[in-house]
Amino acid sequence: MIDNPNILVWLIPALPLVSAVITALLGSRVLKSYSHVPTVAAAAGSCVLSVLLLLGLALLDGQQSLQLKIDGFKWFSTHVLPGDAPLRFGALDIRFNLQVDSLTAVMLIAITFVGTFIAVFSSGYMHGDPGYPRFFAIMSLFLFSMTGLVLADNFLVLYAFWEGVGLCSYLLVVFWFQKPSAAAAARKAFLVTRLGDAGMILGIMLLWARFGNSLDFDTVFGQAALAGESSVLTLACLLLFCGAVGKSAQFPLHVWLPDAMEGPTPASALIHAATMVTAGVYLVARCSRLFALSPTAQLVVACIGGVTALLGALIALTQTDLKRVLAYSTISQLGYMFLGLGAGLIKDKLIVFAVAAAIFHLFTHAFFKALLFLSAGSVMHGMGHVIDMRRLGGLRKVMPITHWSFLCGAVALAGLIPFSGFWSKDEILEAVLQAGEHSDAHNTVYLVLFATALITAALTAFYTFRAYFKTFWGELRIPDEAYHHGHSTPHDHAEPNDHQANDDRQKSFESPSSMTLPLVVLAIGALFVGLIFEGATHWMGDFLAKSAVFVQFHGYTPEHGFDWLMFGLSMLCAAGGVGLAAWMYLVKPGIADTVASALKPAYNLSLNRFWFDEIYALLIVAPLTLFATVCRLFDSIVDGIVDLVGLLPRQLARGLQPIQNGLVQFYALVTVVFVAAFVIVFALWIRQ
Amino acid sequence: MIPLSNYLIVGAILFVLGMIGFLTRRNLILMFLSAEMMLQGVAINLVAFSRHHGNLHGQVFTLFIITVAACESAIALALILMLYRQRQSLDVSLWQDLREPGQEPALDLDEPPPSIEEKLADPKLIPAGIEPARPREDSYD
Repeated sequence: MIDNPNILVWLIPALPLVSAVITALLGSRVLKSYSHVPTVAAAAGSCVLSVLLLLGLALLDGQQSLQLKIDGFKWFSTHVLPGDAPLRFGALDIRFNLQVDSLTAVMLIAITFVGTFIAVFSSGYMHGDPGYPRFFAIMSLFLFSMTGLVLADNFLVLYAFWEGVGLCSYLLVVFWFQKPSAAAAARKAFLVTRLGDAGMILGIMLLWARFGNSLDFDTVFGQAALAGESSVLTLACLLLFCGAVGKSAQFPLHVWLPDAMEGPTPASALIHAATMVTAGVYLVARCSRLFALSPTAQLVVACIGGVTALLGALIALTQTDLKRVLAYSTISQLGYMFLGLGAGLIKDKLIVFAVAAAIFHLFTHAFFKALLFLSAGSVMHGMGHVIDMRRLGGLRKVMPITHWSFLCGAVALAGLIPFSGFWSKDEILEAVLQAGEHSDAHNTVYLVLFATALITAALTAFYTFRAYFKTFWGELRIPDEAYHHGHSTPHDHAEPNDHQANDDRQKSFESPSSMTLPLVVLAIGALFVGLIFEGATHWMGDFLAKSAVFVQFHGYTPEHGFDWLMFGLSMLCAAGGVGLAAWMYLVKPGIADTVASALKPAYNLSLNRFWFDEIYALLIVAPLTLFATVCRLFDSIVDGIVDLVGLLPRQLARGLQPIQNGLVQFYALVTVVFVAAFVIVFALWIRQ
Repeated sequence: MIPLSNYLIVGAILFVLGMIGFLTRRNLILMFLSAEMMLQGVAINLVAFSRHHGNLHGQVFTLFIITVAACESAIALALILMLYRQRQSLDVSLWQDLREPGQEPALDLDEPPPSIEEKLADPKLIPAGIEPARPREDSYD
């Protein structure tokens, strides 16, 4: 099947890169409204190649470790200087190699498949925007960076692509840079993730210094396994996790993700829901062999994940902005993934099952969350960029396809059987429960986390269906903007046939087929991908278990049957959440306000997002602003002294200024007087 | 034999006359002529010393002075012509705006400013021969 896998694998990131270059160079002059063509073609090409790669890997013999190493080129190297200087660190030799194992293959499928359909959706959503070519150039660049990130075979290349996706995220959040809110959000996203990245690069340096003076995954993991558990390793793991916390918007660095919703909705779907924010999960999964050596790091990952899952869900309960609900939901689900990753160690043995569950949840989440975001984008497109749920209602009649696709995403996210969210969430719950039952030291912690995860599952079902019912059920409420903004961009005013639209208030607001087609495809994916890949077959878990990450570490997969108690609890939570939402927002629409006023403090806490932004502003921004003010004051003093010195010659010159009065005769007179004086003095001096 | 001092006295008288003329006149052409007169005073000095010492050094200098003065007068007259075209007058005190900023202009209160008629009565230089064709923007009129 894979006759020449090298070319094939190189093409996966290369196609989007070529597309990005073409779109950036030719987009605004030649391609214009066809700027989406290269991106869609490149994403689709990469997707086909990824599928081929996955099939090729799956068809290989199951017993051997599934890893392809593709030799690339030398990036740079440094050498130890000859001499007797006590150099502690050795040479650094970075090669730009690629590697593919089952973990990479699964990530590639998620990125390119979802990316392809989001690119198609964008061609409809962004149509007519002045930055149309720019959008697709950045989109392609993002796909290049993200595929490169999962294909990297050493830490430095991974870090380079890691920053690449961060850059693309920044560029897409700030896409409508005329809006001050978008500029502020992009700055915040960049700075907050930077905070995590600083920790990550420190962790990479620590690994390089302590484990074999190499940055290749295999070497570092092998050396770390030989060295065994140590505080240095724990520190390195926690520093790497720092980067993951920043990128994947985990507590306490989660504040950037909701603000990042200022960007165009397809970008939110691709970057801030389906792919980029899962890079942190991928990193921790890739480094499972490191984290497996450090129970402390594992516990931290699990706790952060659990706290974030609950926190995100609690905040999502009361948000009125549909996209923000989804953003907090993303934070919460990413927390779920980290919870699964953190539960992967029982009695010093790596539980492949737990890591596989996290990656599987990542996979299904990419589908249903992208679908939910795109549906929200379709709502925005139809409703004149209004996304406030208080102003929307009853849209199921005017936007039928969007309604059905949102419903598909909602049931998958809520975890109703047999849709995809159920299977992945169930596996994570089971992994956490096993850690709680069998772990040595931290049983109680993991049991608490299990309870947290269950509560989160119920909350997830509730807020998802709250958003669904508020937007698509109830009385028909269509904001005025829907009639005035006939087309896609917020800048595009004054459609000629606005007034005709006013006559027919029941007309269809459904989006064009370029947008509904991806919705339908992703809806099918969101519904069945879980059942096909894992629920019915356990294929994904087995496939991931063959990854070199796990095989070489002698990780073992515990026997797991279908746990009826787990199934019951999980279904009870999901169904309870959905039922409560239906009762509060469908049966008795007034009851939500009553509950809100009854639980005023809790409601305010959630509505104001636990005041995280305000607390950070007080604790971090305010002291820094004060410091900056002091610095500016000091600078003005230094500057004043310099100016004072500069003032001296100017004042002296002012005294001489009256001589320059512009009268030629005066100049001549002065010359004559002084020459005469000089001659007289000279003559007297000669005579002496 | 006329003694050296007589020549020197004539040279000094010429020089001082030129200097006084330069300091007191406001007409650009007259100022220029005064400067030339100062040069002639110097030239007489040089020739006198040349004769006194019995060598030709001073005469060589004088020849140079005459040559330089010829070139200089060509340039000076061209400049004066340009200045005249700017202000329609040869009065050098009209160029006081070349002073340092913030200085008060010196006004000649004894003499009233020239009336429009006087200005118009000033001699206009009439181009000799046929004016060469040149782009419009180069014209000063």
